[in-house]
Amino acid sequence: MDIDALIKLLKDELVSVLGESYSDYKKETKEDVESFLTLSKVKLERWTGLLQSGELTPDDYEWLLKSQKDLLVLNALYQAGVSKLRLGHLKNKIIKTIVNTVITVVI
Amino acid sequence: MIFKATIKKMVSIKKSVFIMTLVLVLSSCQSLKTAIFDQYSYQQAISIKVESLNLMSDADQSFSVYEVEVQDLLLELQKMIEYEKNKPDNEVSYAMWKVLANKEKNLLAGFFKRWKDGGKLSETFTNEAKLQVAEALDLIIKYEAQKNKTNETNILNFLGTN
Repeated sequence: MDIDALIKLLKDELVSVLGESYSDYKKETKEDVESFLTLSKVKLERWTGLLQSGELTPDDYEWLLKSQKDLLVLNALYQAGVSKLRLGHLKNKIIKTIVNTVITVVI
Repeated sequence: MIFKATIKKMVSIKKSVFIMTLVLVLSSCQSLKTAIFDQYSYQQAISIKVESLNLMSDADQSFSVYEVEVQDLLLELQKMIEYEKNKPDNEVSYAMWKVLANKEKNLLAGFFKRWKDGGKLSETFTNEAKLQVAEALDLIIKYEAQKNKTNETNILNFLGTN
């Protein structure tokens, strides 16, 4: 099976299906779908091969695909947390600089 | 006399500006606070990862044989969620643990639900599911490890809440 063709087919299908529900967010939806598929490509390739050889059942395959979606959610939470940590570090530095500068000027 | 009063007034204005600046900066930090690194959370996450992957390896056998062990592990997971929930400024870690422990989702608790419903699972499926669960727990562990370990955050948290 041509996995690139499958990815393209999935992308078109997902964007079309999601686009109907989230038409106001079509751009964001497309980006989410693309990022999901890029991250998932290697796994999709392996799982599709295992499905074709009968080592995975269609139910197994569906379960794993959904687990990949849940992993994407976890990854988004992780990225959000890390960004918050980075901003926190930056803010700490800003506070230090402000406090030092103001103390020098005022006191 | 007038000169002295003017200087006194200027110093007073400068002090007010200083205090106002501090108040503004500190109040704007509230949303950026993150719980500090917690050795207990870190160790528990690693322990749950090892126990989970070991237990998942037995999914090619009958669920009933491992039911007690699965229940014990799910209980550990619930305890961890309560612990993370009650830690201040810890929304991200709490949300991550909740995804992992949700039986309706397809990660750790979802895997045990499928095992229970199906009785047994194939080795190929189990191996692939283990990779997914390991990746999920690695994200939780990696995030905890990245949290601040210095006293700077403690001071900031203290100042921000006082």
